[in-house]
Amino acid sequence: MIPTRFAYEAPGGAEEAVAILDAAAEPRVLAGGTWVVPELGSGASRPDVVVDLRRAGLGTIAAGEGTVMVGATATYADLIGSALVRERLPLLHEMAGGITGGWAIRGQGTIGGSLIAARPQSDVPAVLVALGAVAHVAGADGGRALPVPDLLTGPMQTGLARGELLTALELPVQIGTHGYVKLKRGASSWPIATAAAVAVDGVLTRLVLGGVAGTPVELEPEDATMAEIHDPWDDELAPAAYRVAVAGPLAARARRKAIGG
Amino acid sequence: MGRRLVGDPVVKHDGDEYLTGRATFAGDVVLPGMTHAVLVRSTVAHARILGIDASAARAMPGVVAVLTGDEAIPLVEPVPSSVDPTPIGGHLAEIRCLAVDRVRHVGEPVAAVVAETQGDALAAALAVRVDLEPLPLVLDADEAMAADAPLLYPEWGTNRIVGGEMGSSAEEVDAAFAPADHVLEGVLRSHRGNAAPMETRTHVASWDETTGRLTMWATTQNPHPLRSTLASALRLSEAQVHVIAPKIGGSFGLKMFGNREDFIVPVLARLVGRPVRWHEERAAALLPGAREQVQRWRAAFAADGRLLALDVHARSDHGAVSAGHGWGMGLVGAQTTGTGYALEVCRVAWDVVATNKAPWGGTKPYGKDGATLLAEHVMDRIAETTGVDPAEVRRRNFLQPDAFPHLHTTGLELDSGDYEGTLDLALGRAGYPELQAERERARAEGRRLGIGLGFELTPESADVPGALVSGFDTATVRMSPSGQAIVLTGVTSPGTGNDTAIVQLVAAELGIALADVEIVQGDSDRCPYGFGNISSRSIVTGGSAAVLAARDIAAKLRTVAGAMLHAEEGEEIVLGGGMAEIAGDGDRHVPIAVVAGAVFSLGYILALDIEPNLESTRTFRPPNIRHTPDHRGNLQVYTTYPFSMHVSLVEVDDETGVVTTLRHVIAHDCGTVVNPAFVDGQVRGGAVMGIGSALGEEFAYDDRGVPRSVGFKTYLLARASDVPPIELERQVTPSPSTLIGAKGAGEAGFGGAQAAVMNAVNDALRDLGARLDATPASAPNVLAAILDARR
Repeated sequence: MIPTRFAYEAPGGAEEAVAILDAAAEPRVLAGGTWVVPELGSGASRPDVVVDLRRAGLGTIAAGEGTVMVGATATYADLIGSALVRERLPLLHEMAGGITGGWAIRGQGTIGGSLIAARPQSDVPAVLVALGAVAHVAGADGGRALPVPDLLTGPMQTGLARGELLTALELPVQIGTHGYVKLKRGASSWPIATAAAVAVDGVLTRLVLGGVAGTPVELEPEDATMAEIHDPWDDELAPAAYRVAVAGPLAARARRKAIGG
Repeated sequence: MGRRLVGDPVVKHDGDEYLTGRATFAGDVVLPGMTHAVLVRSTVAHARILGIDASAARAMPGVVAVLTGDEAIPLVEPVPSSVDPTPIGGHLAEIRCLAVDRVRHVGEPVAAVVAETQGDALAAALAVRVDLEPLPLVLDADEAMAADAPLLYPEWGTNRIVGGEMGSSAEEVDAAFAPADHVLEGVLRSHRGNAAPMETRTHVASWDETTGRLTMWATTQNPHPLRSTLASALRLSEAQVHVIAPKIGGSFGLKMFGNREDFIVPVLARLVGRPVRWHEERAAALLPGAREQVQRWRAAFAADGRLLALDVHARSDHGAVSAGHGWGMGLVGAQTTGTGYALEVCRVAWDVVATNKAPWGGTKPYGKDGATLLAEHVMDRIAETTGVDPAEVRRRNFLQPDAFPHLHTTGLELDSGDYEGTLDLALGRAGYPELQAERERARAEGRRLGIGLGFELTPESADVPGALVSGFDTATVRMSPSGQAIVLTGVTSPGTGNDTAIVQLVAAELGIALADVEIVQGDSDRCPYGFGNISSRSIVTGGSAAVLAARDIAAKLRTVAGAMLHAEEGEEIVLGGGMAEIAGDGDRHVPIAVVAGAVFSLGYILALDIEPNLESTRTFRPPNIRHTPDHRGNLQVYTTYPFSMHVSLVEVDDETGVVTTLRHVIAHDCGTVVNPAFVDGQVRGGAVMGIGSALGEEFAYDDRGVPRSVGFKTYLLARASDVPPIELERQVTPSPSTLIGAKGAGEAGFGGAQAAVMNAVNDALRDLGARLDATPASAPNVLAAILDARR
């Protein structure tokens, strides 16, 4: 039960949402609500207005020129059920299918909500970096597009300015093969560390670790055995030393899945 | 024919109620005018309360009242201690229902807000300002026992709540250690856990001014003792207090009487003059702890693996003091040291220490987890040192079936058992030689498997002298003129189905159908005084009492039926299938319902040989509890000693430390089983709890004493995909001391499962020279052990 009072808005489009966000003192954007609602319930988050994006038309998945445009409020279930995603973004498809929490969470959680939450204990940020995703952002001064790594400025921090809203992710169609591994402490656990590898013609082109530091760590593809992790992430489920210790083995496993051997 | 019901896996007699949402839990109770209470809890682990400002809260919408600890003092006495440690030299602290003067753990309730809605109460609770002056804190039991440690209760001069020594003398220990082939020592640490019942607590209290009665729907295991203690603290007569325990969604000891909230809610109801409902949030429900110990041990053993002597110091990190009986887990763990092994010399020094964590709450399996973990760890260390196979080590050490009753050095008198039988059953089901071969094959492929054994022995059905925790219980059975019966028991059910099992027992004795027996539990007005469900006692005591009462009625039915059937001298009447008939002469029978009706309507003709009522209230008191000290000064306070043998197969990923449980086999013996479906459910549930604990279900604190575990994303329960199917075998060694031979299954599974998984992990790591001397075998802990061994 949410102990605080707030205004509730459900804008019919991105422009309307931006106007509300720009005018509000302490707004909170609601997509799937899997993080926002518990934080409202515990009193950790006390916004003056909650902006619900369910009617804003931001959930579509469409083909572009050599790309796939994934709406910010597309759910994991939408990704799993999309032929476009399955065929052209198989790494994203695999990630969505393994989201902790099963079908109940997969039907609620959104790719945009997860990216903006920017939690290390999450699959989405590192996978989007590995896929070279570009974030499309709407704002009062117009829109902009920026590579996802530029958007992720720190753990639970993004470079979104006041009044800005993530509307979509633009992903180049995947070529080659990929490998994805996720380490958890049992089925209940959030991701402790993830590794996403992309390879073309048997050569590793990208290798990105999630969960080991505050933001995704991109490794030099050749340096798949070990890399220095700056500011390793520490949380209730695993200390920093553990994440540092497993980073190398996970990277190696993702690499093996991508290029075999 | 009636006997067939006992031993049958019948479904819950009220199962349809649960499945269709008609079962009433305390959280379902809605009363006219009901208000909602939320507790304001300390956010600091140790502090002086400088003041509480509720003015802003009182002004908020919907708020009916705010009560602070100081304001509650005139309204209610301190919470009575459910099991007082002072008779054995321990310390008590005065526990007020809301904290006064100091707070000693994060989460300690300091004020209560009552409002029209839950939302209003939550919002107002956030607005209560609590002014705290932090004090130095201590979060480790060893540190708390240091000379310069901050004291939680300065008037004690120590942080030691209670402790003692039991078992063999120091001289006996020295004499056993001196000539031994081998001596090993170690330090074994176990972590803090919580049983996490599906249902958190909800209390609804209502004070009726016109009748002067308090009615409370309480998620309690013990409605009568709760009534007694509530009446005492609220300065009422017991007749003025009515406690109703509705359906309960799991307790595991956490809903035992003696909790502060049991008292806060009735006080609020009386204060505001309206019903008050309090519902416990999950973060608060996770606070009561258990199982956190440091056991320093020395073992002396022979070259053939026989354990000659154990010398143990067991220290429990209890957290702050409560009025409950959590401290008793330190005592019982000490008493259970050595479990089922033929150990002639065993000495245990034990202490229970206060720290600035939330208090221990009595939790399944009530301290026996520590004794099990230690014994099984030592057995494997013996195997490793001597080269004797771990199963063989246990075999050579078990008490044999002809050794009973066996008086342990700690005072426990083990009743009956065939421990080796469960070893054989478990090894057979697991295919022990095949497992060992599989382990070797996997090793050649670069996979690291481990096999672990875990034997658990759990003393049950305790009687604590001087406490409302007694080893006997009472039941009333009544049959009406229709031939239908009702059972009213002093025992309750936390959802295990003991109510259905008691129905089975009574129906069998009376010879009537299950559907013709109704059972009432948990109502302090209707049920005879009893001690509820704890310590696996419900069938052992309550079931036995119900059988005695039912037999009284059955005897009367047979007498009257004999008259109706013109039975001759020596002809026996048998009750079964709803009929009373002459044994061996099926033509001469009469429906039991007709017999019952005759007692009440034809009493002067057919029932002259009996008192014409069909009602009996009987108490079963097990004979083997002894409150006079033995030659070592020990009491024998347990009735039964069920046991089980576990075999665990795990795989350890040595690059990540992740443990996967591949198989889990249990051979379980709890004596006579009334309903195998319920018992199997108990065993499986306990095993999953133990596997989960071994894998990382851990309640953690940060260095400021603030819990890091606040819900199920930070307190990782095992999910169905984390555990293998639990493979069960049953053995039956009846108890010689209980009426039906049952020993109780309420605490089964946890200890043996946790120990077996820990041993399996250590087996997998052995060739790396790595070993875990602490639980849990979480991935970070396992990897740390591996990396430490490499350095």
